[in-house]
Amino acid sequence: MKMLLVICILCFSSVAHAEILDIQQVTSKSGIKAWLVEDHTVPVISLRFMFRDAGAVNDPADKQGLSQILSNTLDEGAGEMDSKAFQAALNDHSISLGFQSSRDDFGGSLKTLSKYQEKAFDLLNLSLSKPRFDKDPVGRMIDSNLVRIRSNMTDPEWMNARLTNDILYKNHPYAMNAGGTLTSLPRITPQDLRTKFADQLAKDNLIVAVAGDMTADQVSVMLDKVFGNLPATAKLQKIDDVVMSDEPSVTVYEQKIPQTVVTMVIPGIKNTDPDYHAAEVMDFVLGSSGFGSRLTEEVREKRGLTYGIYSRMNDMKHASTLSIGTATRNDMADEVIRITKEVMAGLTTEKITEKELKDAKSYLIGSVPLQLTSNERISGLLIGLLSEDLPADYLEKRAAAIKNLSVDDILRVSKRILETRNIKIILVGQPKMSDTYQSVTSLPNVE
Amino acid sequence: MKLKFSAFSKIFAFPLAFCLLSHTALAAPQKVYNAESMMLPNGMQVVVIPNHRAPVVTHMVWYKVGAADEPQGDGVSGAAHFLEHLMFKGTEAIEPGQFSKLIRSWGGEDNAFTSYDFTAYYQSVSKNDLPRVMAMEADRMINLKLPDKEIESERDVITEERRMRVENDPQSLFTEQMRSVLFAATNYAVPVIGWKHEMPLLKKSHVIEYYKTWYAPNNAILVISGDVTMTDVAPLAKKFYGILPSRDVPEHTRPVTPDFPSPVTLTFESEDLRQPVLIQAWRAPSYMMDKTVPYALDVLMETLSGGASTELYQSLVVNQKIATDISMSYDGDARGEASIWLSAVPAPNVSLEKLKTAIDAKLSELVTKGVTRDAVEKAKTRLVDSEIYARDSVMGPAMVVGQGLSYGLTLEEIETRPEKIGQVSVENVRAVLKTYIDPQKPQNQPVVGYLVPKAKAPQQEGTKK
Repeated sequence: MKMLLVICILCFSSVAHAEILDIQQVTSKSGIKAWLVEDHTVPVISLRFMFRDAGAVNDPADKQGLSQILSNTLDEGAGEMDSKAFQAALNDHSISLGFQSSRDDFGGSLKTLSKYQEKAFDLLNLSLSKPRFDKDPVGRMIDSNLVRIRSNMTDPEWMNARLTNDILYKNHPYAMNAGGTLTSLPRITPQDLRTKFADQLAKDNLIVAVAGDMTADQVSVMLDKVFGNLPATAKLQKIDDVVMSDEPSVTVYEQKIPQTVVTMVIPGIKNTDPDYHAAEVMDFVLGSSGFGSRLTEEVREKRGLTYGIYSRMNDMKHASTLSIGTATRNDMADEVIRITKEVMAGLTTEKITEKELKDAKSYLIGSVPLQLTSNERISGLLIGLLSEDLPADYLEKRAAAIKNLSVDDILRVSKRILETRNIKIILVGQPKMSDTYQSVTSLPNVE
Repeated sequence: MKLKFSAFSKIFAFPLAFCLLSHTALAAPQKVYNAESMMLPNGMQVVVIPNHRAPVVTHMVWYKVGAADEPQGDGVSGAAHFLEHLMFKGTEAIEPGQFSKLIRSWGGEDNAFTSYDFTAYYQSVSKNDLPRVMAMEADRMINLKLPDKEIESERDVITEERRMRVENDPQSLFTEQMRSVLFAATNYAVPVIGWKHEMPLLKKSHVIEYYKTWYAPNNAILVISGDVTMTDVAPLAKKFYGILPSRDVPEHTRPVTPDFPSPVTLTFESEDLRQPVLIQAWRAPSYMMDKTVPYALDVLMETLSGGASTELYQSLVVNQKIATDISMSYDGDARGEASIWLSAVPAPNVSLEKLKTAIDAKLSELVTKGVTRDAVEKAKTRLVDSEIYARDSVMGPAMVVGQGLSYGLTLEEIETRPEKIGQVSVENVRAVLKTYIDPQKPQNQPVVGYLVPKAKAPQQEGTKK
C-alpha cells in the first residue's frame, strides 16, 4: 500500500513537470471562448471574465470614476429583482459576485459552490443583460465611494499614488483617478451607467477563465447561457500610448507625519519585449524579492532605515514602468534616495553574481506552483494571461526562457532599463531634502 | 467529498428541531479539513492537512505564546514581536539574514507574524524542500544567536514598522487607544508592536528572556498543509523536531477587564481626518472562555451584518438613509477576552450623534422584537458554506487550524465548527444579542469612539530647497 502511494505521487509530479497547468480551451456553440482548468477536489467554481479596454481609460474626463461606479452597481439589482432581492439571492446561496474596474479593463468574478451553480449563472446573466441602475443604489454607491476617498485622504501611500499618477501620465487618461473624485462622482447618473454598459461590454472584447468543479462541456453550455445575449461589438475609444516626460523631478506633498512615503519611477518594459524575462531577473535582484534583494539588504538589513523597500515592474496596456517604493523616517528620506540610486547604478556597471542569477532563476521558475493552490488563484492567473494576449503555454515558455539567461544578459538589460537620469521621485511626509524640489499643496484628481 | 457536504448542508436547511434530531443520528461529525494529528514524545503536536492540488506545502510552526504573555508593567513592550523579527537573525548554522534568502533561492516564500496569543513562522515551498525547511525551523527554535549589531538595526526596523502601520495613520492611532480602553488593566490593552515610547527601551535581555521562557517544542505546534500525508511527515517530524528537548513553560495569565460602571466615549477631533466615523466596541467571551456563546455571536453577526441584504445595512443605509456604511463583527479567536466591533459612516449631512441614536434605536428594536428565525437560518447556512470555500486553499486551512490550536482549541473543535454553528438556535442568538449588545443594559459597557475631522489651515505651494 505504502509503495503504491509513493509511486502514484511520483507519477503525479512528473506529469506536473511537463505541463505546469493543464489548460483546456473551450468554445461554446455560439463561439464564445474560455480557458478552463478542471479540478473536482473541492465543490467550488471560480469564474472570471473581463471586457478588455472597457476600464477607467474609457471613462469621460468629467465623469472620472464611472467604471468604478459601474462595477459597484451591476450587482445592485437586475430584471425583476431590486437591489435587496438581488443581493439576497446571492447571499442566500453563498455566491460571491463582484465586478472590478482597472485602468485598462472592466472585469468580474463569480465564486460559487457547485450545488448553487445554476443559480449563480442565472444571476450573473441577469446582471449582464438587464441591470437596473436604480437611482437609490446608484446614490448609495456614489456616497460610499466618496467615503472611501475621504478616508484615503489621510493615507500617505494613497496620496503618493495620486501624485505619482499625475506626474507620470499627465495629459493621458491614465492620469485620471480611476476611483473618481469628490466632484466627478456626484455627476455620474444612472443614464451614464446605462450608456457605458451598453457600449463597452460586448462579446468581441470579452475574455473568460474558469477553474474548479466543471467539465469542458458544462463550461461550453454555461458560456452561452451567461454571455450569450451580450451585444456583438463594443464601441471603444482608441487610446494612445503614454509618452513619458524625459525631465527628472522631485515632488513633495507635505504632511505632518513622522515617516515619508517614497516612490521612485522610471520607464519599464513590455512583457512582450524579448528582454522582459531578463528584466524580471534584474528586478528580482534589485528589489522585487524583498529579503535577499540588494535594496532590502542595503536599506533595511544593513541600516535599519525602513520596514520594507520593493521594486516592481508595472506593465499596463499603454505604459510600462519600474517603480521603487518605501517609507522611512523624515530625516532619512534623502539618504534612502541616495542609496537606492547607488544600488540601481551598481546593476548597470557590474554583472550580478552567478549566485544571484541562480537564486533568481530558481525563485522565478520555482515559485509558480505556489500560485496554483486554489481555484481563485488559478482563474486569476488564467485571466491575466488572456488579458495580455499570452499563449496557454506561457508558463512553460517563460520557464525555458529564464533558464537560458546569463549574467551578461542581465547587465545588458540593466543598462537598457535602469536609467536614473529622468527618474521621477514623489514624496509624502516632511522629508528633509538637500536638493531642490517642487512642493505641491493639493492632490490632483481628488477634490 | 461533494456528496458529503451537500448532505450536510441539507440538514441545516431543515427547521431546527429536525436539525437536532438529525444530529444525534449522525454516526460521526463531518470534518472540515480532515486533518491528521500526532504528538511527538517531547510534547510537540504535529498536524497534517493533505491537499494535493499542486506539488507544494505550507510548513508552519505556531508557538502558543504572544504579546499578551510579555511581562506586564516593566516599562517595555513589543518583545514578542521584536523576537519574531530577530528569529531571522541567525543561529550557529545559519548566518544572520540568510534564512529567508535560502527559502527564496529554492523558489519558496516565507514570513512570520505575532499576535496577542500566538506567534507563527511559515514557509511555502515545493514539497521536495520540506525536509530542509523543517531542519531550519527546528534549529532556530533552540539555537538562536543574537549579535548586538543586528539588534540595534532591527530595533530601527520595527520602529519604522510602527510608524508605517500606526503613527502615519490617525485612525490606527485611535483604534489603538480604543482597544487600550476597552481592555483596560489587562494584557490586551498594550499594542502587539509595543507603545511608541516603550519600544526604544527593548533590550536583548527582554527578548532572550522571552525566548528562553516560551520557545520550546512542547509549547509549539507543527502544521503542514499541502501535497503530503502524515505518512510522509511523521518520520521527518520525529527526525527534526522530535530531538528537541522539552522544557517547563509557565501558565498563561489572561486577566479579565474589570466591570467599570460607566460607558466610555472617546472623541478624536483632528485636522488629519477627513471622514467622520463612529466606532463602537464591546467585550465578549472568546471560544476559550465559553463553549456556546461565541458560536451564537458568530451567527448573530452574520445575521445582522453578513452582506448588503442583511438587517443593519438594509435598515440604516437603505431604508433610513442615515448611514453610508455599517458593519459589525466579532472575533472570538483569543485565549482571554474577545470583542465585538461596530463601525459606521454617517450619510452626508448626518451627525455622528444622530447616527449613534439611530443605531441604538435599531439595536433596541432588535432586542425587543428579536431577530427572525429565517434570517438566523440563512446566516447559519452561509457560515457552513464558508467552511467549504475554506478548503479551496493550501495556506488558509493551515492558518485556521494553527491559530485555533495555538490559543487552546482542540483539533476536534476546529474540525466540527459547522456542527457547532448548526446547533445554534434562534433563541441562543436572541439571548446573546440581549446580553452583549442591548444599548439599554449591556453586560459589558461599550467604548464608543467618534472620529471627527477638523478644518485645515492652508499651505504654501512652490519650489523649495
